[in-house]
Amino acid sequence: MSVSHPMPAASPIAATPFRPTGPLMGVLPLAIGIVVAVLLHVILPGFVGPYYSRIVIDIGIAIILAVSLNIVNGMTGQFSIGHAGFMTVGGYTAGLITYYGSYFIWGTLGKHGVFLGTGEWLFAASCIVGGLVAAGAGYIVGLPSLRLRGDYLAIVTLGFGEILRVVLQQTGKVLDDGAAIRAAGWSQWLPPPVGGAIGFDGIPKYTNLFWVYTFVTITVVVAYRLKHSSLGRAMISVREDEIAAQAMGVNIARQKVLAFVMAAFFAGVAGGLFAHERGVIISPKDAGFQRSFDYVIMTVLGGRGSISGVTLAAIILTALPELLRDFEQYRLIVFALLLIVMMIVRPQGLFGIHEIWHFWRRRSR
Amino acid sequence: MSATALLHVQDIGIAFGGLKAVQHFSLRLPAGGLYGLIGPNGAGKTTVFNLLTGVYNPDSGSMRLAATDLMGRKPHEITASGIARTFQNIRLFPNLTVLDNVRLAGQLRSRVGLFGTLARTAEYQHQEDDLTRKALDLLSIFEMQDRADELADSLSYGHQRRLEILRALATDPRVLLLDEPAAGLNPQEKLALAKSIRAIRDRFQVAVLLIEHDMGLVMDICERITVLDHGVTICEGPPKHVQNDPKVIAAYLGGGG
Ligand SMILES: Nc1ncnc2c1ncn2[C@@H]1O[C@H](COP(=O)(O)OP(=O)(O)OP(=O)(O)O)[C@@H](O)[C@H]1O
Ligand SMILES: [Mg+2]
Repeated sequence: MSVSHPMPAASPIAATPFRPTGPLMGVLPLAIGIVVAVLLHVILPGFVGPYYSRIVIDIGIAIILAVSLNIVNGMTGQFSIGHAGFMTVGGYTAGLITYYGSYFIWGTLGKHGVFLGTGEWLFAASCIVGGLVAAGAGYIVGLPSLRLRGDYLAIVTLGFGEILRVVLQQTGKVLDDGAAIRAAGWSQWLPPPVGGAIGFDGIPKYTNLFWVYTFVTITVVVAYRLKHSSLGRAMISVREDEIAAQAMGVNIARQKVLAFVMAAFFAGVAGGLFAHERGVIISPKDAGFQRSFDYVIMTVLGGRGSISGVTLAAIILTALPELLRDFEQYRLIVFALLLIVMMIVRPQGLFGIHEIWHFWRRRSR
Repeated sequence: MSATALLHVQDIGIAFGGLKAVQHFSLRLPAGGLYGLIGPNGAGKTTVFNLLTGVYNPDSGSMRLAATDLMGRKPHEITASGIARTFQNIRLFPNLTVLDNVRLAGQLRSRVGLFGTLARTAEYQHQEDDLTRKALDLLSIFEMQDRADELADSLSYGHQRRLEILRALATDPRVLLLDEPAAGLNPQEKLALAKSIRAIRDRFQVAVLLIEHDMGLVMDICERITVLDHGVTICEGPPKHVQNDPKVIAAYLGGGG
């Protein structure tokens, strides 16, 4: 039990699990994910039909949102309830690019090109731009996190989503033909004509299983690599004990804002996927509290910082309401109850800070 | 001696509202020195550490570590410049493993940015391996290598105290501030701690400033001692001198400490 007298020692390097080495390992997980995405895209619709394919798309989008929110709420231990706001920023931005961009590039407003054709690449790029714009918003919303904590920060993030909702309602109607677009003066482009309260109708519906699961792969790989890195440990140390983290040289302001920026980026990408999904008209209410709340529940249920736990929660909480008829009416009540029960019974979430596979290893890390 | 002090503190002070917690505190800690900071409960010892590490900014005075001005610096900048500390109430990262508690220090001097981290570049991999090796070395010096994969939370009290010290050392400090490291240890553990504090100083070439209530331990290992009472330095000098100072005796008897 005593603090031993320091003495020279050899360096035994413990076998650390999951240690990819070599340049191949850097891209392998991504390559596997993309192959899976292609297989899903090619095979799944034939087996389960369009209805269930769409649920699988919804699940993928939810995974991106929940896993990214978990960087803020799970890893750095802040509490954001404005994630849908970032998603909506990304969605509108991406929609703006593909909708009006298609007209300026190809002279048409509809979908352009085939699977992996030019239209889809414009769409993929628009999702990334949407992510970048959302990341900018994340930076701005993340700044108060340096001064506020806990409930106060939650209110700021909540306010962000609600303000965005109101602002989007004030936008003009979508310019729905070439003549209108050509005739539009500067005043009509600012603020951008994205449909006001009724939503941004007419966005070409590019979203498919391939793109969704490609972005899911990127999100999960990034989250996992972040968690198991020096940078990720710095973020987690902020959650664990801010004062000790600073004493260990962690710039907690930087970590908190970085977490917000990264989470917002992926939320923005997910928004782009959502806005281009068949059957969806992205609208101001998507920025609101209700949707943010869904993702918060997924992170709480999955566990603070458990990527696999949160992924599983996103799958269950997206699939369940679709599979149970009439669930929509009770959704808020059931989810709220679920949240309360979790807080009381298992506040650390189903998997706590661990990944699922740690539970069938002999001993968790 | 004082001209070549590594940590050079002059007249720093802070008040919390009306309470002058620390006034006109000065210290010249030479490289490799082992100094003590004592005083009754509430004397302001921990507050001195908080001032030195940037948790609070001094209302007045000056502080320098070698050529680096520490005034107004953020805690993480002060750590980066070479001052590390432990806490009176242990502050580990409970849900991180022992290894990760130590490896965290690596981010301080990381040469790999966000994109290198996410792309798992060769440089990143190399740096991570280095960090792991260094952390395990440090753990084995303190005979804790077989606990590397346990959560910090699950350690015994004595091991938690030990981990806190070695975690601080992982930041490669030139000055190590120890806030009551012997608190809660039994007599044998205290004895071993005294030995290892000296050994740490020699092996890691750090200057140590030690807050400790155990007089025997302080008098035994410290070269010079500063005594605080109600935020004021009432005595400073070698153990012999301090021991016999009537003001010190009065402070301890009258202070109820
Ligand atoms: N943040 C703060 N706000 C207000 N008062 C404070 C603050 N920090 C310390 N104090 C006060 O400053 C005085 C000195 O406290 P400090 O913790 O430095 O004492 P200490 O010498 O470390 O005592 P102990 O031996 O009990 O650890 C105390 O009266 C304490 O209540
Ligand atoms: Mg104290």
